[in-house]
Amino acid sequence: MTAIATTDLAKHYAEVRALDGVTLSLEEHRIHGLLGRNGAGKTTLMKLLTGQVFATSGEMRVLGADPVENVEVLSRTAFIQESQKYPDTFRPVDVLRIAAGAYPHWDQALADRLVERFALPEKRRIKKLSRGQLSAIGIVVGLASRAPLTFFDEPYLGLDAVARRMFYDELLADFSEHPRTIVLSTHHIDEVANLLEHVVILDRGRVLLDADTDELQGAALTVSGRTADVDAFLAGRDPLERTTLGSLATATIAAADGDEQAARDAGLDIAPVSLQALFVHLTTADASATDPATAVAHA
Amino acid sequence: MLDDSKPLFVAVAEQIEDGILDGSYPEDGPVPSTNELAGFLRINPATAGKGLGLLVDAGVLIKRRGIGMFVAPGAREALRERRRLAFQDQFIAPLLREATALGIRPEELARMIEKEAAR
Amino acid sequence: MRIRNVIQLHTVNRLAAIGWPLIIMSMSLALVIVIGAIAVSVGGADASRGMNVGMQWNGAIFALLGPLIGFGFTAMGQYFPLALGLGLTRREFAIGTALVFLGNALFYATIVTVGKVVEVATGGFGLGVRFFDTHYTGVGPWWQTLVQTSLVILTVCFVGAAITTAFHRWGQSFLWVFWIALGLLVLAFVAGMLLSAGFQAFVGSLGSVEWATWMGVVAVIGAAGAAAWLALVRRAQVR
Repeated sequence: MTAIATTDLAKHYAEVRALDGVTLSLEEHRIHGLLGRNGAGKTTLMKLLTGQVFATSGEMRVLGADPVENVEVLSRTAFIQESQKYPDTFRPVDVLRIAAGAYPHWDQALADRLVERFALPEKRRIKKLSRGQLSAIGIVVGLASRAPLTFFDEPYLGLDAVARRMFYDELLADFSEHPRTIVLSTHHIDEVANLLEHVVILDRGRVLLDADTDELQGAALTVSGRTADVDAFLAGRDPLERTTLGSLATATIAAADGDEQAARDAGLDIAPVSLQALFVHLTTADASATDPATAVAHA
Repeated sequence: MLDDSKPLFVAVAEQIEDGILDGSYPEDGPVPSTNELAGFLRINPATAGKGLGLLVDAGVLIKRRGIGMFVAPGAREALRERRRLAFQDQFIAPLLREATALGIRPEELARMIEKEAAR
Repeated sequence: MRIRNVIQLHTVNRLAAIGWPLIIMSMSLALVIVIGAIAVSVGGADASRGMNVGMQWNGAIFALLGPLIGFGFTAMGQYFPLALGLGLTRREFAIGTALVFLGNALFYATIVTVGKVVEVATGGFGLGVRFFDTHYTGVGPWWQTLVQTSLVILTVCFVGAAITTAFHRWGQSFLWVFWIALGLLVLAFVAGMLLSAGFQAFVGSLGSVEWATWMGVVAVIGAAGAAAWLALVRRAQVR
């Protein structure tokens, strides 16, 4: 079943087109990555899907229905956002109590365990918490709510590498036990690449890439060798990136079947392109003339 | 931990195969479940499942409903046979290619291998 | 129905929701009594009588009403984003919050009324001071104080919520319009008082207007605030 489906979804503000015609379909019971540079429209998309802001145009279905003001949908949706504001007088324990009441599948035992693991001071005023401790509140709510659809928008700002790894472990463990749809938006692409089953990359309010991570593993290729050999191999193709150092050149291309063998036969070294590297290539190459999104999607 | 030049699920399958070859997973014994594997390797359970599925399809693992996955009888020998065939392609051929580029003749190469093995 | 969760959202922190307003009120009351006691010990019965007249406009009760004015602002400014963040709908938030406003109004009006009854019965705590029995909360019978205080608190909450919602929607430009409109109103009033004898007479006549009419005016303002708030909150977005 499809957890999220949008058609031509757009959100325009006075000065900016935050989202501009997004058509997507995210399957349920998967971990989806929502990637993009700052201002690409990730948060806007999630705010639309959770009914926090209203669309300018287009359609969306979340868990089978329009999410706006829909109790059915929203009580099964958790949205953990980096910018979540809490009332000045609140303590973490207050937030957790409200969340426990708002989400039908809330697991208090899990919440208690996570509070301890992330060393969250439950009774301290929220104003006095560090950035990382604020993030921990979101992580506890996001996991313990066991919402069938959970959005994590940059959920671990201010958390160190150890705590982030703890989050991944807890997420994987709980996801395995209680399969649900997760949408994870982050800049730590390398860290999450192996957790994701599907990836959407947004760029300036549009979908730049929408693919399963399995497909992406062979979607691009980096070849290197003598400049003449590399250029001969590239003949007639538009690389995502090409750099030279003296008489040597390196180029990254959207790969087609047989490219790997052809490159090897041409005496070139080949290397796989990580999701992080692909992301950087795509979002910077976007400024150039070609449309790399379609190039990769059709590879 | 995993070979990142290959699709992730292939790397997962190969890691299990390595375990079978070196005896970590004896024949008729259980292998880790999808979720255990996902948690241990910090990868998506679907990917781990796909890797295990690859081995089930190849007859290396047997699925026992409700209990888990087990190493098939004779799997170790079959794997060794398959890896031997692949060895030629993956190691000998590139070795020869490099040797030729350096002007090392096959007889010379064989001597070098014997010498290295004796060390 | 998750309206319960919205109510919980407003009341989960008991100290902030109920504790502090009552503590501040008690401190303010204690201060008034201490000052009264000093005045009486110095000036005797005359001072007591004088205070009883003069303190009809004693604003110390705003130590309680003041924080309640902020209630409408915080409801929209701080609780609304969290409510939506936790997957509650605007409708649920509006109904729950309106109930909290009502509960608040009744709760604090009851406290003020009880205080007033005690104050009147003890002759201003034996000192002739006024804290609860003032024009802001009604100087008539006790039930008028109950009605008036509830109505005023409720109105202030709704108007505060409406203003905050409008501010979130239109930002700084709303504030400009709001302050300019308010300024023009004050200007018109001053001009009327200075230039028009008829207006002067009208304002003078307000003093003799019936209590019930005043309550009607407050109720209309409150209803307008509530209507504006409900209309705005249904289209409110979280930044």
